[in-house]
Formats: sequence, C-alpha cells, structure tokens
Amino acid sequence: MTMISAASEGEAGPVSRPRLGLRQWAARTNWVLGLILLAWFVLVIVPLAVLFSFSFFETKSYFTIYRPSLNTWISLFESGRFEVTLRTLRIALTVTLIELLVAYPFALWLAKGCRSKTLRAVLIALLTIPFFLDTSSRTIIWRAILGQNGLVNSLLMQAGLTDAPVEWLLYSEVSVHFGLVVSLFPPMALPIYMAIGLIDDELIKASDDLGATPWQTFSRIVLPLSLPGVMAGVVFTLGPALAAWVEPGMLGGGFVNLLSNSIESAYTALRYPVVAALSTFVILLLLALLGAMMLVARRFGDLSSSFRVLKG
Amino acid sequence: MKDRFSTHSQIELSRRALLKATGAMAGLAALGGAATLASPARAQGETTVRAYGVPTAALKDWTPMRQSLGINVEMSGSNNDVGVFMRDVVASQLGDEVDIFIFESGTEDILGPQGLYAPIDESNPNLTLWERTSDDWKRSAVVQDPEGNQWGVPVIGNADSFGYFPAKLGIDPASEEELSWSLMFEDERTRGRVAYANTYTYSMGVAALYLQSKGVATFEDLANLSAEEAKAVADFLIERKKAGQFRTLHGSFEEQIQLLTNQEVDVINCWEPAVREANLKLGPDATRYAYTKEGYFKWGHGAYVAAQAMERDNVDAIYKVLNYFLDGEYRALQARDRGYAGPNMDLGVEYATENGWTPEEIEALRATEAKVNRKFSKPFVSTTTPSNADVMEEEWQRFLNS
Repeated sequence: MTMISAASEGEAGPVSRPRLGLRQWAARTNWVLGLILLAWFVLVIVPLAVLFSFSFFETKSYFTIYRPSLNTWISLFESGRFEVTLRTLRIALTVTLIELLVAYPFALWLAKGCRSKTLRAVLIALLTIPFFLDTSSRTIIWRAILGQNGLVNSLLMQAGLTDAPVEWLLYSEVSVHFGLVVSLFPPMALPIYMAIGLIDDELIKASDDLGATPWQTFSRIVLPLSLPGVMAGVVFTLGPALAAWVEPGMLGGGFVNLLSNSIESAYTALRYPVVAALSTFVILLLLALLGAMMLVARRFGDLSSSFRVLKG
Repeated sequence: MKDRFSTHSQIELSRRALLKATGAMAGLAALGGAATLASPARAQGETTVRAYGVPTAALKDWTPMRQSLGINVEMSGSNNDVGVFMRDVVASQLGDEVDIFIFESGTEDILGPQGLYAPIDESNPNLTLWERTSDDWKRSAVVQDPEGNQWGVPVIGNADSFGYFPAKLGIDPASEEELSWSLMFEDERTRGRVAYANTYTYSMGVAALYLQSKGVATFEDLANLSAEEAKAVADFLIERKKAGQFRTLHGSFEEQIQLLTNQEVDVINCWEPAVREANLKLGPDATRYAYTKEGYFKWGHGAYVAAQAMERDNVDAIYKVLNYFLDGEYRALQARDRGYAGPNMDLGVEYATENGWTPEEIEALRATEAKVNRKFSKPFVSTTTPSNADVMEEEWQRFLNS
C-alpha cells in the first residue's frame, strides 16, 4: 500500500504542473470544447433526431405524407417487422459469441504459442485474404457445397450417414450463422491477436516466476490486457453482423429475413418512414445492449486500465 | 397531389433550385457510365441523342443504328431498382442532360403526370411506324397511365412464367401444353421443391392470378393489389409456406440460373433467359419455360421523352430513335442477341430476310413472334410502381416473417 501510495505521489508530482497548465489552457479555450460538442450535436444528434421524427410519417403511393401519426410504428409490429430487428440482434450476438469462443484461443496460440515465424506470417496473410475478395463471390460458393446436391450431402449419403439430403444445411438459420461465422472470423481474430501480441512476455514470465498457475496467468494477466482487442473484435464483428445482407440473402433462402433485407425491401416502395422506424428501433436496442455490456464489463474491473498495454 | 403534406412540394422545390446544383453533379456522375454503353467517338456533325435506362434495352452495338439513322446514341445504364431510377430522374433532374429514359413499365404513371416526361406526339412525322404498331403494344399499361395518356413508346417485352424440369414432373419435354400455376403453389409433386422470387411486384401478382383462376378470390387489378387483396394473397402464401411448398426465395438472375443448374428446385418463377442458360449446362430441353393456363407476368420496357428535351434542337432525332425502336432492325437484333420480343416482330423477320440472315435465325425470330402472340393473349400486364406498393410491401414482409 505504502509503495503504491509513494508511486502515485511520485507520479503525481512531476505531472501535476502540466495538468494544471492544461486546465488553464482549457479554461482559456473553452470554445474548443464547445466546438467539439457543437459538431457532435450537429453530426450525430441532429441526424438521429431527424431519423426519429421521420418515423412518425408514412408513405402512400411512393409519397411521404408529412402528417404525424403512429401508423408506421403500428405497421412495424403488425407486419412482424420488429421481429426482424430482434432476429437480427439474436443472430448477430450469437455469431459474435461463437467468433469470440473460436477466435480467442486461435489468436492466443498465434501470438504466444506459435513458434514458427513463417507459419505465423502465412496464417496472418491467409486471414487478410478475405478482405480482398468480394463477399458475394465468397458466399455463393457455399450454396454449391451445402445444397441438396452439394458436396456435403453427397459425402454424407455416400458414407451412409443419411438416406436423404439434409435440408437444413442450406436455406436455414444454421447456414446463415455458418456463413457469417466464416465471413467474420478475421475481423474478430486480428484485433485480439494484435492485443495479445503487444503483451510483454516479461509479464507472463514474472507471473510464472511468482508461482501462478497457467489459468491464473491467463485470467489475471493475459485476459485483462487483451480486452481492448476483444472489444475491437466484438465491435468489428457485431457491426457487420447487424448489417449483414449478403449471407442471409444467399444462404437463408429469403426466409431468414434480417434488418438489411427488410430495409432494402422498404426502399423499393420508397418507404423512408419505415426505414427510419426500423433504424430507430435498432438504435434503442443497441443502447440497451451497450448499457448491459458496460454493466458486465465493470465486473471484470477497470476497462480503461487495460489500455495501458498499448503504451508499451 | 396538391396535399401540402405530400412530397409533391418537394419535387417542385427540387425542380426550381435546391437540388439543381447537386442534381447536376449527380446527373453527371450517373452519366459518367455512358462511356461503357455509348457508341464509339461521335462523327463530326452527327446528331446525338442521350438515353438513360436499363441496359437490357441497349443494342450490343449501336453501329447499325448509326448507319441507318445517322444518329449517335449515348446511353448510360441505370440501376434496375425503380426507386433508384425515379430518384435519379426526380432529384437529380436528369432530364436536363438526357433526352430519353428507358425503363420497365410503371414510372410513367408517376413521372408522366408530374411533368417529368413529355407526352408522346403521335403525329410527329418521324414516328412513321406508329400507325402500324398494334394496340397490344402501343396502348398497353407499359406506355400509358391509367387515364390513357400516352407517355412512352414500347421497346421490348416478354411474358414471364416459370421454369420446370419436365422429366421430374413426368411431362414430355417436347410438349407445349399449358401448365397450371398450381405447380408453383399447391402441387404435391413440387412440395418443397419450389423457388419463388423475393420481389413482391414480381411474385404477388402471379399468386393473385392463380387464386382468381381457382375462383377463390377476385382482384380488381392483379398488378396493384389493395390492402384487403394483398392480405388475401399473403394469407394464402403463408399457408403454403407453412405447408413447406417453398424451398427458397431467390433475388437475382444469377441465383435463378444456379438454382436450376444445381437442380436445387424443380419449379421456379424466373426470367426466360435463366432457363436458356441452365440448358446450356444441363442439355437441350432439360428445363422448359412454361406455357400456362392462367396467364403470365407480362412486362415491357418503354422509352419516355424527358420534358426538358422538347425545348432542345434534337427533337426530330429523338423521334427517329423512338421510331427505330418500333422498326425491324432493332427488333431483329434484340431478338437475336437477347431473346426479347417487342412490337412489329414481322418487321424483324422482314429485316432478317432482306439482310441475309440464316434460315435458322429467321425461324427463331418467327418462333419468338408466335410465342409472344400466344402468351400475350392472356392476363396480366405488370407494373413496377403499383400505387398500393406500401400495403403490398407490408403484406410481403408479413409473409417473409411468418
């Protein structure tokens, strides 16, 4: 305790004067903060407010009727469109969780376990290849593999494991999950790999030297310090999964109707209020989700402290 | 339309000033693609007509037209989405740059009365083939609005039904018997083996046509279902979906071909060229495109003149191009290169004969003419812009989410 206090005092001593200077500077230049807040208000809050207010109009024969009503919101529930939002959230969260469970051990091994630099370079190169390929081209291949006359069903039937083709391999929620997990593996794995790669090996050695078990080293050193990568991976995976359009369209057979498909359908009838209502609904759900995630994150400790690893 | 709450005022505003600057920029951006579809460098002194629309209406090579008319056509391709197309025409004010718009039927119902399309001058001396063009084409809903105003000239068209595998359904591949749309919706032989287009304007009308033919419901306009009518169709489709009738929905031409060539389904409501493409891989007549008992999704592309173009100095050239769309050269080239029919197919046969085409090519043109005449005698004419689009889209979503 004493050491920590001394260290804190020692740190606070030399930096206290510049901090004071910063405050004075900030006090003199209050307009900078005001400008940032104004820009944030104009660029973020105003469009959201416009979006929200637009959801109270409706469309008739391709024309937006600027008469406030709840019709669009009512129709959102009557047509089952709100289910689209919930379905999208459910699938996106499931895919993100699967990615995390698969990508974290892989990234840990790649960063700290893989001793061959060549193998590591090859694997990282393989992870980046999908960024250079069109999603549609990558996804459409799976239809030939997972279809009733596809490779998987042929193998299953030849091996005598099934008598008839397994139908749910394609055009089902299972195939949509599969397509998304395959597509979004690199965005989850790469940031985690980067974060774990930045952890100083000396910290891990010190933990070993002090008698910690591998699990203790992992849970008290590696996991907290890799949280920035995990957070980045979750954001890079959850965002595209929420906006997924190609995979549900190509592998879901049209009946796994997700948000992007539903919004696109509304656009064809120029139903901008429906698009606005759907987007508002998603934002509200995401805010609730974010709040829940922050509550959970607090249980793991001070998230901001884990960003110190980036200084190294 | 006078309602102060409607977007009509927005359009007026955009027309005047607000969007003019951005519109001009967007228009130029849209026309940026012109190079890909435009003919080679313009000859000196040659009149130019600028067109904007779906690329399927373009000739693969405009040289024959330039040689025949002495007119250079610069065509930029539009998106197939009617919403995108109308946004380009309205918000971007493309009429300031473009002389002719070419799109699938429906836009004329909205953009014509709004004054963005100019009415067709049927007495224009350059429109020499107008009189001989049959009313089936020139007075169809593709080029007229519901009030009968003439906003366009027919360009190409077809009557869509469904592709099927004769062998799987026990039908003689050579047979041209009329099949029922029940194969699509209710036949036990096809349960779980049907692909249905995921577009409400394309798929709801044929379901309504089937229900009407069965005598279980009546519809005022199969292409434009009211709220109650759309609900009746959606209820039927939901019931069939729950019965496991549909294997999948499809959303693109490439998907249609893949579903057929992989034999993932036995029946699919699709474009005719998809069947042709599948047969290239599977062998002649492995799949067939149905003649139906009840009718077809009849569609057509029209050419519409931009209102602003009537004040420019190339109106004669514009009307010569419109007339060319009715003539034999365009007809024959479109039928041969893309397989599409259109008005005055007999002139296409005449052109092919006079220009030394092979007997097989001429016979194919005659077959196309006979096929279209047979199909076009049945209902119904489709539209991309049903005025009840909002309720139809809503009910289609209910079907998808059920």
